Amino acid sequence: MFKKIVAGLCASALVMMSAVPAFAEEEKEPITMSVFWWGSQLRNERTQQVLDMYAEEHPYITFDGQFSDDYWTRMATLAAGHTLPDVVQMVYAYLEQYAEENTLVDLTPYIEDGTIDVTNIADSVIETGKVGDGIYAICNGINASALFYNKTLLDENGIEIHDYMTVDEFKEICREVYEKTGYKTSLSYGAYTSETYMQYLLRAEGKHLYGDGKLGVDSAEDLLPFFQLYEDGLNEGWHLDPSLYVERTRGQVQEDPMIYGSSPENMSWCGFYASNQLVAMQAAAPEGMDIALTTFPNDNNEAAAWLNPSQFFCVSADGENPDEAAALIDWLTNSVDCNNVLLGERGVPISSVVAEAIAENQTADDQEVVTYINEVVTPSCSTIDPPSPSNGSEVVALLDSLTEKLMYGELSAQEAAEQFFEQANAILAE
Amino acid sequence: MKRKKRTNKIIYYILVTAIGFLMIYPLLWMIMSSFKETNTIFLTAGSLIPEKFTLENYKNGWKGFAKISFGTFFQNSFFISITATIGTVISSSLVAFGLSRCRFPGRKFLFAMVLLTMMVPAQVLMVPQYIWYSKLGWVNSYFPLIVPYCFAIQGFFVYMMYNFIEGIPRELDEAAKIDGCSYFGIYRRITLPLMVPALVTSGIFSFIWRWDDFMSALLYISKAAQYPVCLALKLFTDPGSTSDYGAMFAMSTLSILPVLVIFIFFQKYLVDGIATTGMKG
Amino acid sequence: MKKLKSMIYKESVSGLIFVAPFIIGLVMFLIVPLGISLYYAFCDYNILSPAVFTGLENFKTMINDELFWKSLQVTLFYTLVSVPLKLLFALLVALLFQKTTKAAGIYRAIYYLPSIIGGSVAVSVLWKRMFATDGTVNQILHALGIQTTISWLGNTKTAIWTLILLTVWQFGSSMLIFLSALKQIPSTYYEAAMVDGAGKWKQFLKITLPLLTPTIFFNLVMQMINGLLAYTQCFIITQGKPLNSTLFYMVHMYNQTFVYYKAGYGAALAWVMILIVAIFTSLLFATKKKWVYDGGY
Repeated sequence: MFKKIVAGLCASALVMMSAVPAFAEEEKEPITMSVFWWGSQLRNERTQQVLDMYAEEHPYITFDGQFSDDYWTRMATLAAGHTLPDVVQMVYAYLEQYAEENTLVDLTPYIEDGTIDVTNIADSVIETGKVGDGIYAICNGINASALFYNKTLLDENGIEIHDYMTVDEFKEICREVYEKTGYKTSLSYGAYTSETYMQYLLRAEGKHLYGDGKLGVDSAEDLLPFFQLYEDGLNEGWHLDPSLYVERTRGQVQEDPMIYGSSPENMSWCGFYASNQLVAMQAAAPEGMDIALTTFPNDNNEAAAWLNPSQFFCVSADGENPDEAAALIDWLTNSVDCNNVLLGERGVPISSVVAEAIAENQTADDQEVVTYINEVVTPSCSTIDPPSPSNGSEVVALLDSLTEKLMYGELSAQEAAEQFFEQANAILAE
Repeated sequence: MKRKKRTNKIIYYILVTAIGFLMIYPLLWMIMSSFKETNTIFLTAGSLIPEKFTLENYKNGWKGFAKISFGTFFQNSFFISITATIGTVISSSLVAFGLSRCRFPGRKFLFAMVLLTMMVPAQVLMVPQYIWYSKLGWVNSYFPLIVPYCFAIQGFFVYMMYNFIEGIPRELDEAAKIDGCSYFGIYRRITLPLMVPALVTSGIFSFIWRWDDFMSALLYISKAAQYPVCLALKLFTDPGSTSDYGAMFAMSTLSILPVLVIFIFFQKYLVDGIATTGMKG
Repeated sequence: MKKLKSMIYKESVSGLIFVAPFIIGLVMFLIVPLGISLYYAFCDYNILSPAVFTGLENFKTMINDELFWKSLQVTLFYTLVSVPLKLLFALLVALLFQKTTKAAGIYRAIYYLPSIIGGSVAVSVLWKRMFATDGTVNQILHALGIQTTISWLGNTKTAIWTLILLTVWQFGSSMLIFLSALKQIPSTYYEAAMVDGAGKWKQFLKITLPLLTPTIFFNLVMQMINGLLAYTQCFIITQGKPLNSTLFYMVHMYNQTFVYYKAGYGAALAWVMILIVAIFTSLLFATKKKWVYDGGY
């Protein structure tokens, strides 16, 4: 059914395109452009399809679409050999590192001369691609962190969730769910969102995780609430047993304790995710389980929450056709035809015009996510933190490993907070 | 007495069959899962028999990605694995023969180097090798996946064949030498026919290893149309979104077929090999 | 022409011609990249920008790296336990199914199958389902009347054993090598022993085992190297969890290189491992004379 819609749309897009009289393109040298991304089968197909569409409009371009798992291992070797593809997909966490090492092209001139049209894009969104004085990446979709929950289960037991929950309210619900149903809670550890959630809790207090060459907080006390949540959950019994995270592949939606498990003992009523993952999560859920989304629990959502660039496209410095690459990024960003195929799979399109135009073609789940972004997060959020420092991935690993120790009872919340404060500062000082 | 022997035999067969079942349970599980509806694979992971038997996964899987079907991936895998295996077997047998049968300066050192090639973890070479191969202009081609193996670069095979040749009586060589055979003649006429089991074993190992080697394909092959099966299989799973486990298991099942056929077909050479040539003792 | 011909007949010249492919391959595909990585081991190298020479800095870091010691300990334990078990099992199976009958052929194929599927996603999914708290193993134990809620994978004491089991289960390559060696033993030896009235067990001890020692030695060297360099089992199943109790050395190295982009440190870790493997291998070779039969047949 879905495939038919896409095919239909694609056909109509082609008809529309051919209806417009072709611009008299000046004779151009044939070029081959490589575009590199990661993602699911669905993304691979849609992205390849739009590249084919673009190549039809620009016959002198041949595309070499590359997609891969183990993306960052391959990116590293590509960068080492100075053979990065013309256009690469990027995430916020790696952006600073790649930009600082001169592997990416500064897009500011292209924005200034209009090659990349930003008229329909909020400045704050363009800002997310900024490293130092240059803009090195154009975001290709917006998402926000979201707490997913098993709405069916909660409805059956008369438990109601409202947006902008505080941490205490959240804990109360965890207890209630556990008492009424036996379902436990999986916190951010289960979904690789620990860094994000730590940032939420700190921002709610007006603080930030990263400072300049050190943590952005002045004492271990500021970090305590994050770890305290785990300790309370374990003491009160509503947190999942840590062994479960070894038994499941973390980040793999089919194995998520929210939708898969043999008894309430090894299942969770919620999960800490990013909004655009809802569609995948809902698709993997058993029939009759409705999954809904709300904000991450925190005490001041307006300060804590932010709109997040789900991922970016960048022009690599190794490519031979930066002008053409920039033009392609503009098309991916601003073309309605193109986005009618992509359908916001990477996140809500950043151009307001495009976002509106594709809305009617999106599924109900897609629209639930759009509504969440537009009506829940947008009215109550603030600016995103600057990109993580280049050794941020080590800090994240440290956070994960201390959380694990805490869950296995090797550390108290207080000790975990102190160790994190000390060791993360040491890493960042390097 | 006879009865006891018979009971023993029955117990023996029951035992080896039961253990055999345990051995292939995972494989059976994978094959059976490939016939389950993809969204029920996890939910029914405990049972072997599909509730509803479906071929959908095979259809979906074979379609492949972005208009490239698994037929292409299989073709690529066969090409890579077969050429690399032939190269490995020929070059390794030559080198092993030289090390075993000829005395020349530096022989001991080279033998140590053969061992060294086995001690180097592949992961350490990934970055430097990539830089080196990109200097050679080999990136985006099958060269890095095939050429090195044609130069006996895997010490495992050289060492294994060396061991095997050492077990072949030297008297045979001497006789041939007296008859005027060159060293190459001895290699081709005497040693090679006698070492068929070692060649077949190496061939099987090499084929399986090349067939499963997704890491070098990941690093060196960028065009999806040139992907081998093992790399394409990985595209079915994507963290953070729905993975098509059904299609993946279906294609995984297909992907072990060639290896299985090769093993079953060649194992008779393994076991028959020398025993029937009667040249021993 | 005549000179050329006599050259070919000369032992040392022939030998060099035979090993020429290896010499070329060694220099082209191993020495050059290895040389580059040896240089990196003394550098601060983040892959994206050129390497900066820092002398022994990486090795100093290593001494204070908790995970370096932990992963080394895990890897040594894993190797010392899994290798003997695997070889024992491989030898046993090879002995059982060495006959040329059809049935033996089928059993050989069945017992070899697990080694074919190697480190696929299927194995990873299955292993997790088998050893989970509510997994197959515990269900079987329940059926046998043993009540247990242990999470084999999630417990720091048992997790490594599930990986060892996986390794032993994939014993096929050693089995094949044993098989081809068993076939090399001349049947006349057994016939002679039978005439002397030696039983099966005695034949095994006096003929099979001694004549197999070169193969046992070979398999031991191979599997030990493989064990120390093991990577896949940990990478696809536990990723070092829980609490780093299954963190293999190679996975630690991989993470340092490709997750944290500390390729210089990664190269240093690799070279330390190469050294460790070399030491273990030469120790094994030093014992070779004591127990390995080298008289030919």
